[in-house]
Amino acid sequence: MDLNFQHTNVLPARTWNRLGINDTALAEELPPAAPYTGPGPAGELPEGVAAFSGPLPAGEPETGMGHEEADFVAEHRNCGVSLKVAAGVHAKTPVFLTYRVDENSPFVVDENAVVAEEGSDVTVVVSYLGGARRGFHAGLTRLYAAKGASVRLIQVQLLGDGCLGMDNIGAAAGEGGTIHVIQAELGGRKALAGCKARLEGLRSRLSLDAIYFGDRSRSIDINYVAQHVGRKTRSDIRVSGALLDESEKTFRGTIDFVRGAKQAVGKESEFNLLFSPKVRNRTAPLILCAEEDVDGQHAASTGKIDENRLFYLMTRGLSELEAKKLIIKAQFRPVTDQIPDEKLRNAVAEYVEKRLNRL
Amino acid sequence: MEKKKTMVQDIDRTIYDIKDAVHPAYQVGQGLTPEIVNEISAAKNDPEWMRLFRLKSLRTYNRLPMPTWGPPLDGLNMDEIVTYIRPNTPMRGNWAQVPEDIKNTFVRLGIPEAERKSLAGVGAQYDSEVVYHNVREEVRRQGVIYTDMESALRDPVYGPMVKKHFMKLVPPEDHKFVALHGAVWSGGSFVYVPPHVHVKIPLQSYFRLNAPGAGQFEHTLIIVSEGSSVHFIEGCSAPKYNVANLHAGCVELYVGKNAHLRYSTIENWSKNMYNLNTKRALVEEGGTIEWVSGSFGSHVSYLYPMSILKGEHSRMEFTGITFAGKGQSLDTGAKVVHAAPHTYSSINTKSISKDGGNCVYRSSVEILPQAYGCKSAVNCESLMLDDRSRSDTIPVMDIRNDDVDVGHEAKIGRISDDAVFYLMSRGISEEDAKAMIVTGFAEPIAKELPVEYAVEMNNLIKLEMEGAIG
Repeated sequence: MDLNFQHTNVLPARTWNRLGINDTALAEELPPAAPYTGPGPAGELPEGVAAFSGPLPAGEPETGMGHEEADFVAEHRNCGVSLKVAAGVHAKTPVFLTYRVDENSPFVVDENAVVAEEGSDVTVVVSYLGGARRGFHAGLTRLYAAKGASVRLIQVQLLGDGCLGMDNIGAAAGEGGTIHVIQAELGGRKALAGCKARLEGLRSRLSLDAIYFGDRSRSIDINYVAQHVGRKTRSDIRVSGALLDESEKTFRGTIDFVRGAKQAVGKESEFNLLFSPKVRNRTAPLILCAEEDVDGQHAASTGKIDENRLFYLMTRGLSELEAKKLIIKAQFRPVTDQIPDEKLRNAVAEYVEKRLNRL
Repeated sequence: MEKKKTMVQDIDRTIYDIKDAVHPAYQVGQGLTPEIVNEISAAKNDPEWMRLFRLKSLRTYNRLPMPTWGPPLDGLNMDEIVTYIRPNTPMRGNWAQVPEDIKNTFVRLGIPEAERKSLAGVGAQYDSEVVYHNVREEVRRQGVIYTDMESALRDPVYGPMVKKHFMKLVPPEDHKFVALHGAVWSGGSFVYVPPHVHVKIPLQSYFRLNAPGAGQFEHTLIIVSEGSSVHFIEGCSAPKYNVANLHAGCVELYVGKNAHLRYSTIENWSKNMYNLNTKRALVEEGGTIEWVSGSFGSHVSYLYPMSILKGEHSRMEFTGITFAGKGQSLDTGAKVVHAAPHTYSSINTKSISKDGGNCVYRSSVEILPQAYGCKSAVNCESLMLDDRSRSDTIPVMDIRNDDVDVGHEAKIGRISDDAVFYLMSRGISEEDAKAMIVTGFAEPIAKELPVEYAVEMNNLIKLEMEGAIG
């Protein structure tokens, strides 16, 4: 099967074509489509959380990667689950979903949804694991936080070096609703990720923490959009990562203040560490603003590890490699610490540790 | 109680809007055809290579698409634009010889007075041709050449220099409107500063477009040799008409080893102008290009001076302010390519949007694989004065090695209530506090402008206080 995307991860406002950042085209030969045979939800669902198969709430939110990926998933889905959290329920334990992309099931197209009804909250942990030589995963996850509800999605992508992975998120929040996305894009030959959150309700908010890790010739392509529609909405996008070897990363991050989003606050920060003269790091941090009464800020910093920090750690007896590893792990900790499962947390730590030994 | 708004005045355009009667010595018909390009070339007595260059540029223009990323250009119909209008006078070196109406236009703009007081040389272009050019004797004695492009092109010494550099830094293939420039360019200034010469006071060229439905396509070529320095000021304005006017100038700056060039622009085109200008600097080892840019006028602007840091330890600093009011879409910013090790760039911009105006800050910072040890810092701030306006920030960074230090900061918002409260708690009235904040917002840029322009800019954004902004 062939995959042919013309315009995915589209920058919400175009800029010079020669920079090649307006969107990403993707032409790939995929493994043959086949039913998914791997694991799915692990254990029992917490009380008040149920799988459902009916229609999603009206007003389907747009996604970060865009409609080409979403349409592809709708057409070829072979796994996934839709969850509903009943009004007022505070799920006591997280929901764990695992999708494995291996030789038995190299074609994984998962469509998921989390609908948190009024006043409820839930945490969903989704991990994409496996090392198929020519694996493929395309995911689409829709998140709905109704009035006063909170959805926390933790996505960890640890696919093997032969895989193409895509994680596409579309989210909407009602009055006082919170969408919290934690995304760790650590594996794969090519990794694409997108998240668009529409902050519709008064005081709704998006918190998006992401880490990425590039080594060998991995390419990472990300598009995040926080769309402020309602009054007093708030978004925080924090991205940090490291690039080694000949890896490449493209990050597009947009805060979009729609007219009427009075007293909205949008903040975005990006911190990139570079470890090889052959890496390529591209960033387009946009602020689009049609409302006067807002506060939008963006800060980005890209470079080598601060030599003073390195020197300090080395005077404390660490080797250069140990010091560098410590700094990168420390940079990832605010995100990895939020993974509520020790086994997965350790898997992430081990994965990063192993890869950093090649520094 | 209804919140009162502070009115931030529009730019007072009275002196810019005075129209002269149009009685050119010669003009071509509307539109763009090989015949018109040949006609311009013949009228300008071009060398043959230039005629062929123009025709090739026209073919490039016809081949290239319109830009797909900026403010709309729907109101611009090239079939209605007159690309060449020669004023009714040859170029003079003495204001007394310039026809009265044209001279009066420049007098109102303060050009002869500035020349007497604070400039080393002045060029004044009216529609398609330069009508006045003069340089102080002491500067001439230093070996500095400051003349119109046509004279330089035909000069036995500088002609070959023009041919060597003309549209080499900004080739016509770059984009549609620079191809158009290549086909129909006329006027502009040529500056050559010999090695190790410091021109202590600035040179200034002023571009005035008087005719309705016309285009101005001046070409500025500046060569600053090794170890030299110069400050060049460019001003531009036009009266307002109900038909679209077009400005598609091109600026090519060659900054030699350890040389320093400061290029200041105050753009005050009328609000029927499409300002699609292209500026680029090539900076050799240890050289510095400083851009100071104030964009106040035009209906639509696409303006992003580009710097190519070719030599080690070369530097670029960009300071810009953009003020968009009613009916204006000003898409401005800067581009820099770090092509050599240990190069430095700094971009500092401010923009103010009001009364339905659209500001876009757009930039690119590219660091090439061989350019290790580079540093780049970008800082852009936008102020929104009402919710009918827009302000977008679209920066891109493309970094291709690891030995870099790249920082970017962007902020957007309104006048901070806390800052107003703080100033009021110190005994300052609310109105004064707000005026102080807006002036303070623009001040870091205003202080980089030439003095007479800084005063003008402060007048431009003068506040008329009545209640609160917000």
